Amino acid sequence: MRSSPPIDRLVESLKRLPGIGEKTATRLAFYLVGAADNQVQALANAIGRLKQEIVLCERCFDLTDHSPCQICLDPKREPGLLCVVEEPADLAAIEKSASFRGHYHVLGGAFAPIDGVGPDELRVRELLERVRGGEIQEVVLATNPNTEGDATAHYLADQLRESGVKLSRIAYGMPLGGDLEYADHVTVGLCIENRRGL
Amino acid sequence: MATLRSEALILRSVDFGESDRILHLLLPDQGRLTVIAKGARRSLKRFSGTLDLFNHLSVQVEGRRRNSMARLEQARLIRGFAPLRVDPMRFALGCYLLELLDRLAPEGGVRADMQQLFSFALDALQWVAARPPDLTQRTILELRALDALGLRPELRDCVRCKREVVGEGEQVFHVAEGGPLCGTCAVSLEGLLSVHVGTLRALQQGLSLDLGVIDRLSMGPSALAEARRLVTRLQHFHVGMTLQSERFLDRLFRESGISPSPAETLSSDRFPVA
Ligand SMILES: [Zn+2]
Ligand SMILES: [Zn+2]
Repeated sequence: MRSSPPIDRLVESLKRLPGIGEKTATRLAFYLVGAADNQVQALANAIGRLKQEIVLCERCFDLTDHSPCQICLDPKREPGLLCVVEEPADLAAIEKSASFRGHYHVLGGAFAPIDGVGPDELRVRELLERVRGGEIQEVVLATNPNTEGDATAHYLADQLRESGVKLSRIAYGMPLGGDLEYADHVTVGLCIENRRGL
Repeated sequence: MATLRSEALILRSVDFGESDRILHLLLPDQGRLTVIAKGARRSLKRFSGTLDLFNHLSVQVEGRRRNSMARLEQARLIRGFAPLRVDPMRFALGCYLLELLDRLAPEGGVRADMQQLFSFALDALQWVAARPPDLTQRTILELRALDALGLRPELRDCVRCKREVVGEGEQVFHVAEGGPLCGTCAVSLEGLLSVHVGTLRALQQGLSLDLGVIDRLSMGPSALAEARRLVTRLQHFHVGMTLQSERFLDRLFRESGISPSPAETLSSDRFPVA
């Protein structure tokens, strides 16, 4: 099909989104050409404001539009319970399970030595400082139950042990090698319920 | 290549796109092979948690067609190395070994060599899993990895004139030529490391002893420092760069009170290598 540079440009951008191939990108582009001006403008605005308005929460490092985020400011949450996850998507998965009423700490990943990711590349120092602050009584290590996530959890446990807080690891309610982000919420809920000490 | 059924060791696993994973595998018959596992991150059923680092698998791979990558169709876990998941030091040393193999293992090669490399990889992981790492073990393991990759250095005879290098004092080792030089051959050459004959003997033992009894090999601090420097230089020479996981490993060694490179505190370089 013949098209013009503005359409090609949009198709190229859309193709980079997860789950969108050439065909879908082309269909979306032609749909937008025919759509109402205000609808297209609203989409463009929403995308444009996304990167400007989303920030990292200064306490838990989740993505938020206000720092500290709603979870961090929620007085109904248990102040002594902290759940450590790799990514914001993992936090969202646990929130969706509605099984956890404490606070979070987003590490920003797990150890990946071959990609040069170690303690300094993750928010490990921030976690240790938070726990040394004294309010935390239990830390739930909810990194993914794969090799890297396990190694990261055990490293953090070694570092946190001297602070005297209770340490637990999410249970292996899901297959080893899995990814929290893609688990169903029942499984995620079980993982939280069945956490165990280290 | 049509359908291939084989054992495999996962050397590296990289998320790809929304739900796929690219794996670097080491196979007993053909060395390194890169495959794509479609839907591996989304579908927990398909590969049900088998695609983890260090896992020894039985796999079925669909050969590459035109420009596409070979595709992993099935994977069954033969064996995981659990202690490498729960001890950060063992994890770090294991990752370091995998990166070394991933960088240097050939894609395809003489079958007997590839089988030897594959069994070295499994033995080495088992060895790391069985004990907390220390510096001697790390050094010997690195040396044996180079050996398994066909990069075994000469540790006894002069690499130029083939005469046995003897003597009490410091001798020299030529990193690029992969062996020691005798007094006659060592004149005015660059890129030489100082090394005592005793250190070379200890390393030679480290290569020839059964892996199971390597624990009995002990080196004094200065010999260990020399050995580390020599093996590190050899490894950097062959890889052509510092392995990413070396920094991580060094850090964990340091945090646990083991100085990662005592060689740094000794000046055993006679001529600095560029
Ligand atoms: Zn927050
Ligand atoms: Zn000579």
